[in-house]
Amino acid sequence: MLGPMGVTLAVFVGSLVVVLGLWMTGRDPRPRSAPESVPFIGGRPPAVHAWSRYHARYHVMALVFLAFDMEMVYMYPWAVVFVREGPIAMVEMGMFITILLLGILYAWREQVFEWA
Amino acid sequence: MDYASPPIALIAVGLAMAAGVYLIAVLDRSIAVLVGAGRWTWRGAIVGPIRSAALLLVQRRRTTERPDSPGWTLAPALLTGLAAVALAMVPIGPDMAAADPSTGFVVFSAAIVFVMIAVFLHGWSPNSALAMHGAYRFGAQALSFQIPFLLAMLATALPAESLSIVDIVDAQEPLWNVVRQPLGLPLYLVVGVAVSFWGPLNLPDASDLAGGTSVEDSGVARLLWKSARAAMLVAVAAMGAAGFLGGWWGPWLPGPVWMVIKAVALLTLLLVAGHLLPRVRIQRFVVIAWVILIPLALVNIFVSGALLL
Amino acid sequence: MGVRDALAHLAGGAVAPVFAVAGGGAREAVAELALSPSVELVDSPAAASVLLVAGFLPSDLHTPLAALHDAMPDPRCTVSWPLGSDHGSMPLSSSRLRIGPDDEPVQAVTRAYRALLSGVVATEPPIQPDVDPNPWRGVGPYGQGGRGMTGGTPYGRPMAELGPDRDGLRLDVLPLSIGPFFPRFPAGLILDVVMAGDLVIEGRVADSPFGGGEWRPPVGPFVRALSEPVPVAEIELARARQHLRWASDALITQGLPAFAMRVRRLAVTLTPGHASSVRALSRRLRLLRVPQWSGAGVGRIAPELLTGLALGPVSRAAGLGEDARAADPAYAELGFEPIVARDGDAAARWDVRLAEAAQSLELAARARGQRTGGVGIVEGPRGRLGPDDSPFQRLQSLLPDLLAGLEWGDAVTALASLDLDPEEAGTVAARPSRAEAA
Repeated sequence: MLGPMGVTLAVFVGSLVVVLGLWMTGRDPRPRSAPESVPFIGGRPPAVHAWSRYHARYHVMALVFLAFDMEMVYMYPWAVVFVREGPIAMVEMGMFITILLLGILYAWREQVFEWA
Repeated sequence: MDYASPPIALIAVGLAMAAGVYLIAVLDRSIAVLVGAGRWTWRGAIVGPIRSAALLLVQRRRTTERPDSPGWTLAPALLTGLAAVALAMVPIGPDMAAADPSTGFVVFSAAIVFVMIAVFLHGWSPNSALAMHGAYRFGAQALSFQIPFLLAMLATALPAESLSIVDIVDAQEPLWNVVRQPLGLPLYLVVGVAVSFWGPLNLPDASDLAGGTSVEDSGVARLLWKSARAAMLVAVAAMGAAGFLGGWWGPWLPGPVWMVIKAVALLTLLLVAGHLLPRVRIQRFVVIAWVILIPLALVNIFVSGALLL
Repeated sequence: MGVRDALAHLAGGAVAPVFAVAGGGAREAVAELALSPSVELVDSPAAASVLLVAGFLPSDLHTPLAALHDAMPDPRCTVSWPLGSDHGSMPLSSSRLRIGPDDEPVQAVTRAYRALLSGVVATEPPIQPDVDPNPWRGVGPYGQGGRGMTGGTPYGRPMAELGPDRDGLRLDVLPLSIGPFFPRFPAGLILDVVMAGDLVIEGRVADSPFGGGEWRPPVGPFVRALSEPVPVAEIELARARQHLRWASDALITQGLPAFAMRVRRLAVTLTPGHASSVRALSRRLRLLRVPQWSGAGVGRIAPELLTGLALGPVSRAAGLGEDARAADPAYAELGFEPIVARDGDAAARWDVRLAEAAQSLELAARARGQRTGGVGIVEGPRGRLGPDDSPFQRLQSLLPDLLAGLEWGDAVTALASLDLDPEEAGTVAARPSRAEAA
């Protein structure tokens, strides 16, 4: 009735509940005071809040990652039927992979990965 | 039966995680003492982790000025949940898995992928500059390791013609994957270290960020995060034993005992590497993951595929 | 509650997490403390239960120290360790938890920790007053709404503003004042950076707080050699020890705390016969890729910028053979040659320092009572010590150009490889010649 995915979900939710329960034991009756809540950067108070429009310089690498993630979606079923389909499966996936590898080569030359 | 009933699954996975986390604490301390040329004592190694955990339970849980409290609370819980899901996929004996869906490999990979969310939440929520920096650094690390991780493990599915982990282990009865796909295990160990951000790839919780995403953690929050990280390492080692070292196959001893031995062996290897190898620079790791690890993993897939035909 | 008391009793026997502040003259003593298995030096105050204040701290650093104390979670206590400074001038000094000259430091710290956990010593209240920097909280449930949101200071601090960026994509920049108690830097080192993402846009190291003249530092062999001949064996052994201590701190920065303890143990028990051990250590670190992975190409300073600055291993790693010992007849007798590398990056500085440590131990073993000659100029472990300045002050002007454009991890590696020591400014200020002239 449940199936393996149901059990997996039960395990996930169960461990979540246990950890959250343990977290609750850390609740403290004394309210936090201002000097005890200052973020630590070495002793001096920070000048600005940390939350900001952070320049994640690897945003172009994330696009390359998306392309390869879509390729992984194709490779999952390919791995299952590979032996059955024979050499044609290898040739087709090889062509697909080669195009993507050329993409990585181009990205490497354009210095997308540093500083990436 | 391809799954255990929920209470049994929860208890089994919970016990495995607790035992694994404690074992990691003991082994890590022992290896640190040996590498540091100190004196190893029974008390220090066996009772020490329990005492340190007791201290963290007594310590007050801190907060910062304007944190994202739901996110900060959820992060260690999410990481533990993902480690539990990953560990539930690993079979301990023939047909003895907490859950064995026909796409077990995909579920395991999904659990690995979401680690990025958990670590990012953990670093972003305290609203502290050093923690946030660790979170964004892990973003770069996570995007880079995920494809090599999936490709390294995918080669094990080729001889099994199935994505179910039990089938993958079954297909290793004649020969372990570490022998017929020699590139697979080293690649898997490298990206396994990247997933659990341990040792040389501990970039989000790095010492050059004064603890990184854990810089504002104290008390039970610190204990839960450390346990969650260790649980993830246990899951990675267990899956490595199942996927590459032949799982429960082995002479004389029963299957589950072999599984535990192999997982502990991989765990020890990863912990020793953590204490001997320096931290890799993030830019270097990104380049290596894309330019070296992905082509190597693809070579591994195609060569082993060609040998199967 | 029974459970809490049981846990506290169990925790009393744990390894004591200590956040150590090693002020003037205390770095070696605190480093030796870390070798004990019952004490662990932690990276952030949130992980610590004991704040160890050792050595001399100038008055500028008293407020950050109070902030550090308040950032520790309950239960917390402070242990002060004057080490030759006056007890009365130590900040946060209580009459109960102090380490005197006759006390064994590790036992005193663990005793304080156990007393804290068992309730004998009460947890300390926050030192700073409970005053919100800006009590503005907004109108809505998430702090939104109301006047003063944009450009104001919600929850005590302003929000980050836009800043220039070499990529042309203008996003927020974070101005950070890292230090003075950042665990990877020596106490007193304040790094003012402006970061856009994880790149340092501008970086600058502030003037040393030890240079104010408040401090009477202990006189080591290098400062003594400025005014009188010192035995070569003694000064070279001290130099090797300093280089190994630097290596231990640099290993912690690179994520190898266990290996760092091994190096530190060697530094503490160092004798002139250990030259081969140091060479073996250097080979082992190369094998484990420590200099290569962390420092290859990182923090390179061009030799043209270093000519004439006499910055010791930093200059010699860039290819400049400047070494005040080369002009000393005592060293010439022992066959001394400066060790020079080519690349000038952090990896080269690793190689030069470890090779110099081995060379110093060999010189110390070979020395037959020779004494240093050149009075007035001494080659310290970080560079030339002259009558008026210290390597730290000479290096400060080079840092903004070095740090601009570095990723954060590379910036920390670069600064660690330069072996900055703010205490040197204090030894300059306290020099007898200067005191007489002033």
